[in-house]
Amino acid sequence: QVSELVQFLLVKDQKKIPIKRKEHREHWDAYSEIVNRAGRTLQEVFGLQLVEIDTKRHTYILINNLPRPEGKYLCRDKEKEKMGLLLIILSFIFMKGNSVKDSALWEFLNLLRVYPGKQHRVFGDVRKLVTDEFVRQKYLESTPIPLTDPPEYKYQWGPRAEKETSKKDVLNFVAKVRPFWGHLWL
Amino acid sequence: ENREAMLNSKSNRLTEALEEANKLFDGVCRAREAALDAQFLVIASNIGKEKANELHSEMSAFDSTAFAEDLLTFMGINRTEVEETDDSEDVPGGFLPSDAWQTMGEEALKYFRRAPTFHYMMGSFKSEPPVPKQRIERQKKASRGKAERAMPAQLKEMEESHQEATEKEVERILRILQTHFENDPDTPISFFDFVIDPNSFAHTVENMFHVSFLIRDGLAKIRLDEDELPIIEPTKPSGRGEEDSRTRARNQVVISLDKREWK
Repeated sequence: QVSELVQFLLVKDQKKIPIKRKEHREHWDAYSEIVNRAGRTLQEVFGLQLVEIDTKRHTYILINNLPRPEGKYLCRDKEKEKMGLLLIILSFIFMKGNSVKDSALWEFLNLLRVYPGKQHRVFGDVRKLVTDEFVRQKYLESTPIPLTDPPEYKYQWGPRAEKETSKKDVLNFVAKVRPFWGHLWL
Repeated sequence: ENREAMLNSKSNRLTEALEEANKLFDGVCRAREAALDAQFLVIASNIGKEKANELHSEMSAFDSTAFAEDLLTFMGINRTEVEETDDSEDVPGGFLPSDAWQTMGEEALKYFRRAPTFHYMMGSFKSEPPVPKQRIERQKKASRGKAERAMPAQLKEMEESHQEATEKEVERILRILQTHFENDPDTPISFFDFVIDPNSFAHTVENMFHVSFLIRDGLAKIRLDEDELPIIEPTKPSGRGEEDSRTRARNQVVISLDKREWK
């Protein structure tokens, strides 16, 4: 039963959308023991960590527990490019005090030739990618700003971002892009 | 209304509005008016909170424009003076190479502990059980059949076509031999007459290949006739006990045939 759950989790993780408990009810009734054992298997066999990101609604994600490998990542796929955009967005949010308005975010992305209304050569429908995909994957969290008309949203780091990376790592990235920043923030 | 104006850190509009609301409240004597006042307070406090937030970010000295420039540099932007108007990437400041986002992505991956997406290595299994294949009596093939069922769908198809083609051919040849013998039981066929295709050398070789299977499995035999020429005939399906197969001599013969000989 545990191996079935492990396989289920691995397949479900393909789209990076968090896995909810109720989707596989019959296995999760003997809940904690099986989930714990599945988690151990995932860790020992695959080096993946099963993390609960929502204790109320029992939602899980898989993250990579192995040390990052050296060298160039050979696969040239869309995933890589999306992670680039995501990292930039997360950095921006962080440097702006952990929360930004959507208008501010798009204003910034425009500077990188990324426009919400325009089909992007690499990302296609960018608006959908940011407001839909990244949010569903829990990399970003989008909250409506109350009493705004037309409704505006603010963006913050989502729980997956919190687990898969850290403020410290992101700060390192910002510093790497412009070494100059490091000293301003100490 | 006038939200942007109020948010402007240099304006006191928010304070003025609050003061005005205060004054108005003195004249309130109906519940509905008080409710409006409460509503106003909520909006005002939201604006106040946003103003406070903006104050904070101004003090942080984070220059997003500069950060964006740095990112473009990192992605390998080519800052030429010439203005390109043919491309959408013609915003003043330069020209992004096509692998710009690949470069960025390569760097970004280092910062995320992302689980690799899971894919089956060998493709998936067919959901229905495999259809049992037609077989002629071959013990070897029978045991192989079980192993084959475990192989994934794609591979299985390829193997089948190879084997079946050979099997079918061999079967066909056996039947031809047997039919001939049914019609004319006392005249064995000259081996060469049997296998040679006057029109195709390759086909001749193929025929010899298929006949060799029949010989190997004891379904046909080759012997030399009075003129020392090989003849071929099917073996009788008599109750072949173990005794029989042990006593029958099994010889290995290598036949070579090249194109000249064939002609």
